[in-house]
Amino acid sequence: MSILWSTNELSSNHEHPNVARTPPSALPRPETPLSHISLAHSPNLFGEASLTLTAIYNSLVPSMTQTHAASRRLLRCLLCFAILTPLLAHAADWPETERQLSAKIAATTGPGAVSLEIVNRANFSKTDLETIRRGLTSQLSTLGVQVVKPDQAAATIQVSLSQSLENYVWIAEVRQGTGAPTILMVTSDRLAAPVIAPPHAPALTLSRTLLWSQESRILDVAVVEIMGAPAYLLVLDREGVHISRFDNGHWNAGQVLAIEHQKAWPRDLRGRLVLRKDHLFDAYLPGVTCSSTGGASLTLQCREGDDPWPLTSDQGAFFAPNRNYFTGALVPGIRQENSVAPFYSAVPVPKSNYTLWLFASLDGSLQLFDGMSKQSLTGLGFGSDLAAVRSTCGSGWQVLATSNSDNAPDAVRAFEFPDREPVPVSPTLEFAGPITSLWSDNNSSTAVAVTRNLESGRYEAYRLSVACGQ
Amino acid sequence: MKRIGCLLLAVSSLCVLSHAATRPHYGRTLRVALRAAPASLEPVQSLAPVAPELSSLLFDNLVALDSQAHAQPSLALSWHAEIGNRRWQFLLRKGVAFHDGSPLTPDAAASALRAANPSWQVSATDESVLIVSDAPLNTLPEELSLPRNAISRRDSAGKPVGTGPFRVTDFQPGRKLILAANDDYWNARPYLDSIEIELGANSRDQFIALELGKVDAIDLAPEQIRRATSEGRRVVESAPLDLLALVFTRDRRSAEEGRLRDALSYSLDRPSMRSALLQGEGEVAGGILPGWISGYEFLFPSKLDLPRAQQLKGSAKQSTPWTLAYNVNDPLGRLLADRIALNARDSGITIQVSSSSDGDLRLVRLPLVSLDSRLALRGVALAAGAPPPAFSGASLEQLYQAEQVLLDTQRIIPLIHLPRAQGIGPAVRNWRRSQDGAWRFDDVWLATEKP
Repeated sequence: MSILWSTNELSSNHEHPNVARTPPSALPRPETPLSHISLAHSPNLFGEASLTLTAIYNSLVPSMTQTHAASRRLLRCLLCFAILTPLLAHAADWPETERQLSAKIAATTGPGAVSLEIVNRANFSKTDLETIRRGLTSQLSTLGVQVVKPDQAAATIQVSLSQSLENYVWIAEVRQGTGAPTILMVTSDRLAAPVIAPPHAPALTLSRTLLWSQESRILDVAVVEIMGAPAYLLVLDREGVHISRFDNGHWNAGQVLAIEHQKAWPRDLRGRLVLRKDHLFDAYLPGVTCSSTGGASLTLQCREGDDPWPLTSDQGAFFAPNRNYFTGALVPGIRQENSVAPFYSAVPVPKSNYTLWLFASLDGSLQLFDGMSKQSLTGLGFGSDLAAVRSTCGSGWQVLATSNSDNAPDAVRAFEFPDREPVPVSPTLEFAGPITSLWSDNNSSTAVAVTRNLESGRYEAYRLSVACGQ
Repeated sequence: MKRIGCLLLAVSSLCVLSHAATRPHYGRTLRVALRAAPASLEPVQSLAPVAPELSSLLFDNLVALDSQAHAQPSLALSWHAEIGNRRWQFLLRKGVAFHDGSPLTPDAAASALRAANPSWQVSATDESVLIVSDAPLNTLPEELSLPRNAISRRDSAGKPVGTGPFRVTDFQPGRKLILAANDDYWNARPYLDSIEIELGANSRDQFIALELGKVDAIDLAPEQIRRATSEGRRVVESAPLDLLALVFTRDRRSAEEGRLRDALSYSLDRPSMRSALLQGEGEVAGGILPGWISGYEFLFPSKLDLPRAQQLKGSAKQSTPWTLAYNVNDPLGRLLADRIALNARDSGITIQVSSSSDGDLRLVRLPLVSLDSRLALRGVALAAGAPPPAFSGASLEQLYQAEQVLLDTQRIIPLIHLPRAQGIGPAVRNWRRSQDGAWRFDDVWLATEKP
C-alpha cells in the first residue's frame, strides 16, 4: 500500500445538462482559471498590491508523458465526474415550478386567451427569463390557456420571479376586469450553488485537483492507493473519519469511524491524518490521538492525551490541546534545541548537509532554524500554513505557503529557500475562500489544502502539486 | 431586489475582507460601545427587548436558526412532536454547565422555559424537556430560538447565568458590561479572552471613540453609514432587518378614519425620506416583512400616490389633527416626523409632531425578532400593539394572507426597512452578524500588527 497517486495534471471537467437551466444566483462564479500569473509588481512575496493576471498555456510537462498517462487521465475524469455529479444535481427544477404555477393560473382564469408578462425581481439572466416564459406558455397551452398579445387577452398575467430567504418565489398577479388582482404563488427550493471546476484548464506549475467537498469542515484528507490506483478516500472532520471506496468511477461513501472524546473541541479545530504501514492510519486532533485497527472491519481507537503530532516521519511536535497551534515543544529535539516559539505549522527544507526548518509563528513571522542558529523573517506576506513538497523541479523541494492578505482571496504559492530568503517559484494559486488546512502528504510528493468556498459555503479539499513549468 | 442583491454582495464582500489568511489568534479584549442600555441581564424582561444582540453572548437556546431560518440543534440535540404538534419532546445535550458551574439539567431548562412562557405546560424527564399545549405549537422549535427563550438560571446571588460562550464578570446596569471567555463552553471556547461593552453610549461619542482607537466596534445609525464608509472606516452592514413604521395607538373607529389612514399612507414619499434623511440606506417598505425574507413584499403598495391620497381624504373628514410622537433619543426622529407631517399636509391631513410619548400615532423602529417569517410577523404585530396574525397554514400564500390581514387592520404603516450596522476597528477579524441581528463574538479575534 502506498501513496503514489500523482496529480501533476489537471483533471478534465464535465458539463452537465442541468446547468444551462440553473438560475444565475445558483450558478457558480467562474473560478479563477488555473493559469500562469505574471507579476507586474509585487510589494511582498504574494504580490498583494498589484497583480497582473495573464493566462498562459504551458506546454506539456515532460513527466506527464510517462506511462499510464492515458489511464490516469481517464481515472481522473471519472473521479471528477464522481465528485461533481452530486453537486450538479442541485440545479433547480423549473419545469415543475412552471407546471405548478400554470395549473394555478389555469384554475383561476379557465380556458381562454391571456397576456403574459415576466418580471425579473431576482437576478435571472435573459436566457433564463426566456426559457421560463417558453415553459410557462407551453404549460398554460396544455391547460387550454393561450398566451396572446395584451390587446387580444381576456386576462393579464404578470409573473414576478422573486426569492425569499428560503425559496425561489414565483408570483402571478392575475387581472380579470377591474377588480383587485388574484395573487398566486409557488415556491421551489433554493439550493446550494453547484461547484464546477473551470473547463479546459491549462496545465500549471502549481496545480490543484478537487478531492472532496462537504458541508462540514474538513480537517484533512488522505487518499489510499492500492497498486498505484486510488482505492479509498479518508476524510477527517470533527465527527470522525469518513471512508469512501473508489468503485466504478465513484467514491462510494462507506464506513464512518467516530472519534470518541470527552472535552469540547477548540475553535478553529485542526486535525491531521497520517497513513501508516502497520495499520491503515492515525488521526491527530487536539488532545486526542486515534489509530485504526482491524482488517476487513475497521475500527478506530482513540485516546485522550498530548501525543506529539508528526511534522515529518521522524520529527514530531506537541499540539496545544485547547488551541489551534503547536506549543513549540519538539520531539525529538532539533539538534540541541527541544523547543521553539509556538507555531501554527512547520516544514523542513533539506539541504546538502543539514535541514532548514521553517516555523510559521503566531505573530505572523517566519522563524528559520537550522539546528544551530535562529532567524526571524517578517513582511513576507506568509499566512499561517506551510507545506513542503518534493518535486523534480528546481532544488527538488518547494515550500507551499498561504498568503496573509486580508484584502484578496486566499492563495497558495510555492517558494524555494536557496539560502535564507524565500524565492517565489510559482504563481499564486487563488482559492474561492480562506484556506483552513494545508498539510504535506505522507511522502511529501503533494499537499492537501482545504478551503471554505465563500460562495457555496462548502469545504473543499484539494490536492496541490508542483509541476515543472516551462 | 437588485439593490438587496448588491447589499448582500457588499455584506459578503465584507465577510471576505474579514477573512485574514492567518489563523485566528487567541487572547486580548474586544472593546465595544452600544447605544442600548439594559438595566438587567434577565433574558425575558430586559435583554431580549432592549439588547437582543447580547443574548447570544451569554445564553444558549435549545434551538438555533440557521441562515435559512431552519431550526438546528443547540442545547437540544434533537426533538420530535406528537399529537398534532401539541406535545413536543426535546432531548437535552449532556455535559453542558452554566457559568456558575451547575450542570444544565432538563429541570433547569424546563424551569427557564416555564418562566418565560407561563401559558405552556413544561416538564422535565431524565433526559428531555416536554412541552405540552392544548393548541398545536407549529412553530415551537423556531420559537425556542428567540432570545426571550434563552436558557438561564439564577446563581446564588440571584443573578441570571447562562451557558453561552461568555460569562459576566462585571455588570453596571445601563453603563458597563464586562464579559470573560467561558473556558468550558460546550461549543468551543471563544478566541477572545474578554469583552468590555460600554452601554448607553450616544452615537457621536461612539464615533469619536472609534476614531481614537478607544473601542474596536460601535453601533452605527443608518445616517452614519455613508459618512463612516466615505472616511474609510470598516463598516459591517446587515440586510434590512428593522421596520421603520408609523403605528396607530388604537384601532380605527370608523370606515371614514380608515380612509384617512389610507390617505396618509398614499401621501408618504418614502423614497425621498430614504434618500434625503437616511442617506440612501435601507429599503422602501410597503410590507411588514422585508422582501429578502418574504419574496412578495413588492405586492404591497409603497409609492407616493398623491391624487389617490387626496381623493381618499376628500371622502373623509378629519375632525381633529393627529399627534405624531417620535423618539427623542433618535437623532433622526424629529426630521422624519416633520417630513411625514409635511407629506400628510399635501393630501389635506393635519399632523402635529410631538416628542411626548402620547399621540395618535408613533414613529417607531420595530425590530425583526426572528428569521422565521411567521414569528417575525407576529413579533412586529405584538410590538405595534396590533392583534397577532393567525396562520391558516405554513404555505407562502398563507403567510401573505396573514400579513395582508395585519396591514388591513390599519394599525401599521410601513415606511422603510433599515439595516443594522457597526463600525469596526482595523484589528477586528471574523466579525459577523447573524442575519437575525444577533452577535456571534465567539469567532471574533483581534489581530496583531503584521510583522
